[in-house]
Amino acid sequence: MQYAAVTGIGQTQYKARRGDVSIAGLVHEAARNALDDAGLDWNDIEAVIIGKAPDMFEGVIMPEIYLADALGCDGKPMLRVHTAGSVGGSTALVAASHVQSGAFRRVLTVTFEKQSESNAMWALSNPQPFSPHLNAGAGGYFAPIMREYIRRSGAPRDTGIKVAVKDRLHGARNPLNHLQMPDISMQEVEDSPMLWDPIRFLESCPSSDGACAMVIADEGLANDGPRPPVWIRGGAMRSEPTMYAGRDEVNPQAGRDCVADVYAQAGIDNPRKQLDCAEVYVPFSWYEPMWLENLGFAEEGEGWRLTMEGATSLDEGGDIPWNCSGGVLCSNPIGASGMIRFAEAARQVRGDAGEHQVDGARTALGHAYGGGAQFYAMWVVSTDKS
Amino acid sequence: MSERLSQQFELGYTYTRSTGPIVGRFLTELRQRRIVGTRGDDGRVYVPPMEFDPVTASALDEFVEVADCGEVVSWCWVSEPRDSHPFDTPFAWALVKLDGADVPMVHAVCAGRDEMRTGMRVQACWAEETRGYITDIVCFEPEAQGKGP
Repeated sequence: MQYAAVTGIGQTQYKARRGDVSIAGLVHEAARNALDDAGLDWNDIEAVIIGKAPDMFEGVIMPEIYLADALGCDGKPMLRVHTAGSVGGSTALVAASHVQSGAFRRVLTVTFEKQSESNAMWALSNPQPFSPHLNAGAGGYFAPIMREYIRRSGAPRDTGIKVAVKDRLHGARNPLNHLQMPDISMQEVEDSPMLWDPIRFLESCPSSDGACAMVIADEGLANDGPRPPVWIRGGAMRSEPTMYAGRDEVNPQAGRDCVADVYAQAGIDNPRKQLDCAEVYVPFSWYEPMWLENLGFAEEGEGWRLTMEGATSLDEGGDIPWNCSGGVLCSNPIGASGMIRFAEAARQVRGDAGEHQVDGARTALGHAYGGGAQFYAMWVVSTDKS
Repeated sequence: MSERLSQQFELGYTYTRSTGPIVGRFLTELRQRRIVGTRGDDGRVYVPPMEFDPVTASALDEFVEVADCGEVVSWCWVSEPRDSHPFDTPFAWALVKLDGADVPMVHAVCAGRDEMRTGMRVQACWAEETRGYITDIVCFEPEAQGKGP
């Protein structure tokens, strides 16, 4: 397998509504920013890999067709990736594999969502004949799984509140974020309306507009740009069915298998020690302790302790800060959210994450999940090629 | 006995669409009964305007006003209009290249079957009330005698 590196990163401002631009304008903006970051132009790109959440969300069927000119795809291969909420991560991995395989030397990858124009809430669970309509959004679907986590682990009830505050305090350091809540308090989160027990309003992700893009290049081109290359040391995807007898939805097997694969590729056997930080898909607060366990940062049933001890907090000087960018709890353009995690992990390694930089970060994890917590995509990126 | 059941169903949601600065300007100009395009990197004028150059992908922002008359480049006669067609009498779908534009746009031409021909001159017939829709141009009609170039 060829070495591959991130050489350009581009994001848009994340906002509740980007009414100033069309969908094409939104993706073009992120892609242009990534090209500028890499010191490149459209002609320098050999293939374009695009991802977004399901078509029904925005009601644009096959948006990749309409976006071909906005992304400079004329005369180039263009591929759409589609794995629900994890799509931002899997799109980056497909783009990386285009380079790692040796098929292309330099590719552009872009993901987006314009939630202000979409119907993500209800298009998530389409009614089907012969069965009653579930009619649940993501919060309603995941809430029972979080309750089961609380029952099993005995986690204190304010663990979720702590994550909600911690990620918003991180997020206030990142000017790109949709939610800017530098003065948020535990009390404010606790007083916010309970939406789907145990998830309160302020323990949930917002609905955002935005796009994220990266340029991925092979070893020969990795040092061509103005920025230091960020080497992709491991990447993997795993899937499992939405429902089957014996499925552990709290600690899904696909997530455990996926991260074990990534760690093996990257030579990691103690993630808490060997990783400097992690950008993990936490759309609802309780997913931090759950994923701390699923991703091997804590023993099963112990993830909440890391959260409560401040191990994942920049502000508390934690040893393994999670979601220094503010994470999905601060900006959630669904199709892009996974790629933002991957890109923010790369920014940490590059050392240009600004106010949310982890000092001296060299190795970081980017993570995304989607569907009924059944699609996983992860990568480990590093300053070192091998 | 088992049956292999099937059932039809409908699925529908509500959405919003933002036009952005380029298509938004095009539609806004229609309200004033003006037609604008954008100039591509190779100098060609696209009507309706393109947001991004189809060859170079650069963002286009030079607007060019074109005439509301032009030439039929190609056409197809609709002899039996259906309910969803814009007219209940026979008309033509046509590619109309407006004067000042380098590419044709698709619209309807209301003319007699015997009048239709490639290369004919046509002129926009504007709606009495314009609101920023492509249908502010009701159709194109044969240009009045003597008005052509």
